[in-house]
Amino acid sequence: MKFKHLYLLLLASISTSINAQVEELTPEEQAYRDSITALNIENAAIANSQEAYNKGITLFAEKNYSASIEQFRKSVEFDPNFTAAYYNKGVAENEVGKYADAVKTLDKLIELKPSYSKAFFQRGRSYQGLNDYLKAEKDYEKSIALDATNPKAFYNYGTLRFLQSDYDGAITYFTKTIQLDPEFVNALNDRGSSHRMKGDYPKAIADYEAAIRKNPNLAFVLNNIGTTKTKMNDYKGAMEAYNRAVSIDANFHLTYNNRGVAQMDQGRLDDAVKDFNKAIALKSDYSAAESNLSGVYFKQKEYQKALDMANKAISHDKNNAAAYVNRGMAKEMLRDLNGACEDWQKAKELGDETGSNYYAGNCAN
Amino acid sequence: MMKSLLTTVFLSFIFAISAQNVEFKAANFKDDKDGLKAATDAIKKGDEYFNIANEAVFIIKSPGLNYELALNSYLKAQKFNPNNAELNFKIGVCYINSTYSAKGVSYIFKAHELDPACDNFMQFYYGKALQLDNKFSEAIKAYDAFEAEYKKADNFSKFVTQFKNECRTAQGAVQNPVRAWVDNVGELNTEFNDYAPSITTDGGEIIFTSDRPNGHTPNEAGSYDKDIYSSTLTDRKWSAPKQLTGGVNTTEDDVSNNLSYDGTKMLLHRSVDGQFDIFESTLNGANWTAPTAMPFQISSNKSNDIYAAYSADGWSIYFARDNANRENGYDIVYSSMQSKIQKNYMAAQMISTVNSKFNEGPVYIAIDGETMYICSEGNGSLGGYDIFVSKKSQGSWSKPVNLGYPINTPYDDFFFATTANGKFAYIASNRPEGKGGFDIYKVTFFGPEKAPVSATEDYLLASIANPVKDNSIEATVDVNKKSFTVFKGKTIDAMTKKAVEADIEITDNATGKIIETFTTNSATGKFIITLASGKNYGIAVKAEGYLFHSENFDIPMGSADNLVNKIIELKNIAIGSKIALRNIFFDTGKSTLRPESNSELDRLVKLMKDVPSLKIEISGHTDNTGSASLNNSLSQDRAAAVVAYLTGKGIAAGRMTAMGYGSTKPIASNDNAAGRQENRRTEFEIKGN
Repeated sequence: MKFKHLYLLLLASISTSINAQVEELTPEEQAYRDSITALNIENAAIANSQEAYNKGITLFAEKNYSASIEQFRKSVEFDPNFTAAYYNKGVAENEVGKYADAVKTLDKLIELKPSYSKAFFQRGRSYQGLNDYLKAEKDYEKSIALDATNPKAFYNYGTLRFLQSDYDGAITYFTKTIQLDPEFVNALNDRGSSHRMKGDYPKAIADYEAAIRKNPNLAFVLNNIGTTKTKMNDYKGAMEAYNRAVSIDANFHLTYNNRGVAQMDQGRLDDAVKDFNKAIALKSDYSAAESNLSGVYFKQKEYQKALDMANKAISHDKNNAAAYVNRGMAKEMLRDLNGACEDWQKAKELGDETGSNYYAGNCAN
Repeated sequence: MMKSLLTTVFLSFIFAISAQNVEFKAANFKDDKDGLKAATDAIKKGDEYFNIANEAVFIIKSPGLNYELALNSYLKAQKFNPNNAELNFKIGVCYINSTYSAKGVSYIFKAHELDPACDNFMQFYYGKALQLDNKFSEAIKAYDAFEAEYKKADNFSKFVTQFKNECRTAQGAVQNPVRAWVDNVGELNTEFNDYAPSITTDGGEIIFTSDRPNGHTPNEAGSYDKDIYSSTLTDRKWSAPKQLTGGVNTTEDDVSNNLSYDGTKMLLHRSVDGQFDIFESTLNGANWTAPTAMPFQISSNKSNDIYAAYSADGWSIYFARDNANRENGYDIVYSSMQSKIQKNYMAAQMISTVNSKFNEGPVYIAIDGETMYICSEGNGSLGGYDIFVSKKSQGSWSKPVNLGYPINTPYDDFFFATTANGKFAYIASNRPEGKGGFDIYKVTFFGPEKAPVSATEDYLLASIANPVKDNSIEATVDVNKKSFTVFKGKTIDAMTKKAVEADIEITDNATGKIIETFTTNSATGKFIITLASGKNYGIAVKAEGYLFHSENFDIPMGSADNLVNKIIELKNIAIGSKIALRNIFFDTGKSTLRPESNSELDRLVKLMKDVPSLKIEISGHTDNTGSASLNNSLSQDRAAAVVAYLTGKGIAAGRMTAMGYGSTKPIASNDNAAGRQENRRTEFEIKGN
């Protein structure tokens, strides 16, 4: 209706200015005019779509992901065939962890453009976020098939193999990642971890150290070196790695916890207490460190303190099996065998082997 | 805790009494001669039992009731005079050799305080009291002092040697306690003797023996006969013990020995004609059957047979046997069946590796069949009976190993019954912290020191610490706001309004480029094209014989249904062309222009003004009716009227001529009305340009 008025107004002005006059349209002329009208409507929608799309990109750059998603949504609403808008919407949804939404968006995109390799990569990432590793793997595989030069696709595929305990598969994909991008330190670290999970500690250390040579400021890699060397009973090496890690990142709570374990293993109980307390100071709900501290107190025969600390650990993580084991031990020494058995049973239910052994050896008649 | 308690008791004696030995002499009790006599009579009577008991103990025999009977008399005298060293010593000896040993310690200490030389065996029993009080070094010194003074050539020295060894063993054991807790099972115990526990392997049921008051007639010493009781474990608490029913308990001593692993059979011993024999009872429903004596190979009429236990495979009975020919008290023996159906037991065999020069038994065979727990006064005891373990290897039992402190103490610690997993065991002990006499204790083995579980944490996958993102997005695009307008129209003759075929060029004025060229329809002069909106265009129209036409116009950015309709009027400028002015009207027979002619006349005015070089002839025409001269005159006048009108509108008169042709230039037939109508007209002809 509005358009009709506009049209008449415009026509009147033209008549006045250029001595034109309105004339009835023939059916053929009317059909022609209708086709142009349709084209104009389509063109207007595309323009609106493009404007929203560009706004979305600006908002994305400002990390205003929610607003950018809304603009990309508008963009594809105006132009349902605008593949780039779908892609950007999917990326933004992944950024804010709206993985299910991202899957829907990228489903549509892949339907429109099945050869869009990056779309498969992004949807793989969405599925990974949804812990649907099987679908994520398929998407990464497809992404790799469409574009075998994207190291990130190989890397993410490798992490999925790792998470499914296929460490050989993980090594293969991390290796490919490194071949495509020799500076990809994450892949070096993760390949090291794969070797470590296979029990091949020397190869693990080699990869971790290669990662550190590429980037000497990665505290978490040094932490991994420390824990691996602890497994190798190379406490000296482990302590060096931990010390270097905390010199890089003095607030890296994991390292204090792990150094505390190494201290405990070496019988340096007071030092272990300091490290665990430091870890807890950095992360006040650090259940693992609290459980470990409980273990040190137990070794120091401070059973009540061990009990109190294990209680804290459990209050911060009700599924911390180690804390249940340690609390059970403290309770046993405080003559609460029933309580100890309940804790070991809980640890057993959580899959802890030590808890299971303690329960079997101490609680069943 | 116990040690400090005993010390406190001891110190209280020191301060409560005078350190002076008060003899039972008339001089000391001048005011109570009767009391003195009664006391000395009691002592004399007590001495009779005391001496008998001492002799039995000396040869590792049971003192029977003699110490109890002696004690009853001595305690009467003690009430009269508590500060006599010898009496305190005797009371102490009676207690120490009874199941209430702990009560004897303070009496011995007091006797030693009053007069350490009051008896030849003072140093021996002082050493024993110190041993019971965990003062092992001092005990050894006392034993040494006794040895130095004891000159008799008998084998009593084996006791001294044994006790000194016990002290040495105890010193090490107390310093290195085993990882076990020993707790009094309060629900089962009384101030009387509660002992001989035996449990099912699931730990859910216990039987034990007690001489608690049972409604029977007490013996001459005031003690009740021993009965067997049972209790069940519910919610980790033992129920109130109940006497077993079904003829198990008699008015004689009935002592539980061993409950089968599943709790359906029981071995016990009882006195038959002054001799202990082993019996068996089976559970029939809720009641135990009347016990039947085991075959003579086990219940021999030539020996005391006690403390029997089932073997794990059910083929053998292990038990303790004594006889007059042995000087080493009870020894562990076993008898095996040849057939479980016939139950034909073979002669009992002694297990030499587990027996000592002192009493052995009770015995307990663990359900694994390869572990035997033996109670012994020898074998390296910490004092009194201790519990030992022997392992079977290649058919032989190993030398027993003391279970260690705090399971064993310098007191009697005996009996052993364990749950299937070996975590818990029940024992009997007369250690000081009990309710009185023997009590039942629960041993909880907490095993080797447990290692706490420690957990390291890693970011094994770097993506956890350092996520890999591919958040690069597609780039911006140029917004293309395309809009089209339908541009239609037609080219016509400005005067006649007839369609004119014309060539048209459309120019995009922003770029100067010609974007469209086309020719309008020759029949209709129409055209229709599409132009992008929002631009200014130039249009140039050319048609032969017509004045060139150009103009510029805007196509604004409008709505989706933009339409521009343009009529382009072309001006005819060809010399000689004649154009009939059909819309000029005169009054009938006159040359007066009627007002409705003005529009047509004005278009002509405009043409003349638009094309200033144009020169025309205005001509008037009639049909052939009427006189020719009149027609000529009228047509001339009418042409002049038109010229006059144009002149009046500012057109130079020199550019126009007026001609009246009458009916001489018909353009149609005058034979009919329509033709004549056609012929009546005003024309103009282009004469110059």
